[in-house]
Amino acid sequence: MDRRLFWLVPLALLPVPLWLNPYQQYVLNTALVYIPVGIGFNLVVGNLGLLAFSNVAYFGLGAYTSGVLMAQLGMPWWMTIIPAASVGGLAGSIASIPALRGVRLFYLAIMTLAFGELMRWTYIRWEALTGGSMGMAVPTADLLGWPLDSDRRKFYVFLALVVLTLTLTDRLMRSRFGRAFLAIKDNEISAAAMGVATDRYIVLAFAWGGAVVGIGGAMFAISVGHLSPVSFDLTELIRQFAIIMVGGLGSLIGAIIGAAIITVAPQVFISFPGFDELVFGILIVLVILFLPRGLSSLLARVHPAFTDRFYRG
Amino acid sequence: MLTLLPQLVVSGTSTGMLYALIALSMTVVYRATTVVNFGHGDMVAAGAYAVFVFSLGFGLPFLIAMLLAIAVLFVAGFATQHFLLQPIVAGPHLSLAMMALAVGYTLRGMLRLEWGNETMNPSRPYPQDVYMFGTVVVTTDDVVICGFVLVLLAALFVLLQVTPLGKVIQATFQSQRGAALVGINVPLFHALMWGGGAALGALGGVMLSMITPLTPDLGQWTLVQGFAAMTLGGFGSLGGAVAGGILLGITEKLLGFYVNTVFIEITGYLVPIIVLMLRPQGLFGRRMTVRV
Amino acid sequence: MADGTLLQLRDVTVRFGGLIAVDSVSFNLHAGEICALIGPNGAGKTTLFNSISGNVIADSGSILFRGEEIRHLTPHEISARGARRTFQNGGLFPELTALENILVGLHAQIDSSFLGLLFGGKSVAAELAATQQARELLDLMGIGAMANQKAGALSGGQQRMVEIVRALATNPPLLLLDEPAVGLAPLGRQQLATVIHMLARERGIGILLIEHAIELVMSVADRVIVLNDGRKVADASPEEVRADRTVLEAYLGHA
Repeated sequence: MDRRLFWLVPLALLPVPLWLNPYQQYVLNTALVYIPVGIGFNLVVGNLGLLAFSNVAYFGLGAYTSGVLMAQLGMPWWMTIIPAASVGGLAGSIASIPALRGVRLFYLAIMTLAFGELMRWTYIRWEALTGGSMGMAVPTADLLGWPLDSDRRKFYVFLALVVLTLTLTDRLMRSRFGRAFLAIKDNEISAAAMGVATDRYIVLAFAWGGAVVGIGGAMFAISVGHLSPVSFDLTELIRQFAIIMVGGLGSLIGAIIGAAIITVAPQVFISFPGFDELVFGILIVLVILFLPRGLSSLLARVHPAFTDRFYRG
Repeated sequence: MLTLLPQLVVSGTSTGMLYALIALSMTVVYRATTVVNFGHGDMVAAGAYAVFVFSLGFGLPFLIAMLLAIAVLFVAGFATQHFLLQPIVAGPHLSLAMMALAVGYTLRGMLRLEWGNETMNPSRPYPQDVYMFGTVVVTTDDVVICGFVLVLLAALFVLLQVTPLGKVIQATFQSQRGAALVGINVPLFHALMWGGGAALGALGGVMLSMITPLTPDLGQWTLVQGFAAMTLGGFGSLGGAVAGGILLGITEKLLGFYVNTVFIEITGYLVPIIVLMLRPQGLFGRRMTVRV
Repeated sequence: MADGTLLQLRDVTVRFGGLIAVDSVSFNLHAGEICALIGPNGAGKTTLFNSISGNVIADSGSILFRGEEIRHLTPHEISARGARRTFQNGGLFPELTALENILVGLHAQIDSSFLGLLFGGKSVAAELAATQQARELLDLMGIGAMANQKAGALSGGQQRMVEIVRALATNPPLLLLDEPAVGLAPLGRQQLATVIHMLARERGIGILLIEHAIELVMSVADRVIVLNDGRKVADASPEEVRADRTVLEAYLGHA
């Protein structure tokens, strides 16, 4: 089975909105929003193998960048996508600095966690820009003048963005860059001995991961229509962890599966306070114990086409 | 300006004692198993809620409620290590960190399920009062916390330095292989230390329940403060954890007053970032870094 | 260098705190020459090796590779200049397939850029060519069937092969082998000796290897350098070294 058949999936999704009610459409949109989030997170934690827990920072920065540019400068949404990605990428590069100095494992996790929380504190404090704890409304989005005033319209734009980020990341991973990330994860010293300038690739992985998550943030901003700091707290972090753990660490397909499951699950079951934390917490525990490589590993066992490859040809 | 300095130091020390206890409990776990418990903050919070449940819910005397809370968290810590971490102990660090984090989140979810997002007011088993020492105001909260933590530290010191059990614990901290060679059941030791760490954390939670309003998100803040204190004191150092906690408490108060009130909130976030950037091994601790 | 001298060490000294691990060691290695580094445990062989590959920085002395001073360079810079090494245990990337491991070996030579990869064209062609090259290398060494298996799942002997192929992928003039025979059965050692011999004689690669397996050293090396307590105590042909009393005493002294 040729991997090019995967292109059929977005094509197959095109007519789906015709059969969905607005609520279901919104849920599908949310799943799409979380695919780039999973891709970016997976890149650093799963492929590069560093414990960078700052993903929510890029998500929030991307969302707020988009929202603030729209609300304060009147920029149309489609023009804010690149700034959101850039801010995410910049934040990622900054977060990579301790890693460049050799900080690893739990220290790195703590630092990046603190960084994420510091960003959330910034959203709360910088009221003039972000509306503080009360949050801010995100103006209606448009794409080159075409108003995105329904979830169905947003769906098509989101689908395009998801396909774009997936394709670009796939191209990056199936090259010496992707292999460099994995080599650093498996054996940094050996990677350097093979001529990999590890510093460069660490920054690149962080930056690209941050940028992709930032795009997810921009999508999130117009999907929910209202931004508040509480959307980017540590509960959001466990949600994002659940995506990559359940889906499969380091796997592009895993990001898709994980995003789908984490988004749909709360809708299928009756929600209650603490649902996210309880359910995702238990889910992660079970996955670590019984399926450490996530669902994508199950798929790979069924058919090798689902295995992530890191070369062309 | 400087006239307020003694007051700031005193109240900073009092808060710092609390941080010290939390950092100490996290360090016990880390020293024993080299795993940082990312769910520790939620265990502390669970301890706080537990004492509430036992004292106000079941109407038990405070002391009994406290002991029960400690016991419950001991079991929780023990069970987490034994059933969830021990099976994956040889696996990647990410899995260990995630497992601990996930357990913490599960606890938080349970707390939120029961108590929603409401806030519980602190409940003190002692009368609130204030004492004046010159210009310095000392509250009963300060006295109780400082007194309690100091007594606890003294007891722990005696335990570790004087009793045979303490010698065994210290020896195992230093060399697990050596301990195994002399017949110590190291996996059991690990589980017991996680239980002990959780129990100490629960004590911190008990103290928190006396002086702060409780929400299910308390664990989030507690974790950050615990990390900051551990970072200041050097990871893995028990004495350092205490010193780091007190230092954190005082620093927060001083920065908060002399520089800007925001520092009360964000010192906890800034400390790990700044300290580890400048000295990747913490102020007094060991390296968790790689040289390529 | 004109006379075929690949590697030139002059008075290389490495200290760890107060301990002198390598004490003023000098020797030359020429293209096509197989040189074995032996000595009792703790003699400083690994440290000397690491100072050549850049994993340890020598405190004083000079290490010239093809006439260029490399003492201060980082491992990846030295690797890029054509001095490649293998590792004693676990130099492979276990989660990558054998093919992908070889491709990492080719890393510095693949002409693909970040933007070029994202938007197609020449970079993609470079990647395709590299994959082809890696497949051919594996086939050449007779392990083409393993291309898609994760390196961690291969047997010890197969892993050793993949690691050597990987180090050779860029046609390096100098190969540093760190105890390549460890864990190999006698048959595997014979094959290893044959490969080493072929690389030096047919491809003109200079090879420096650390080895404890004396029979392998004797059968394959052109020259043997003996270290003891950080100092060079012998630098001669295998036969001469075998007959050298000081060498015998060095080993006995540490027994």
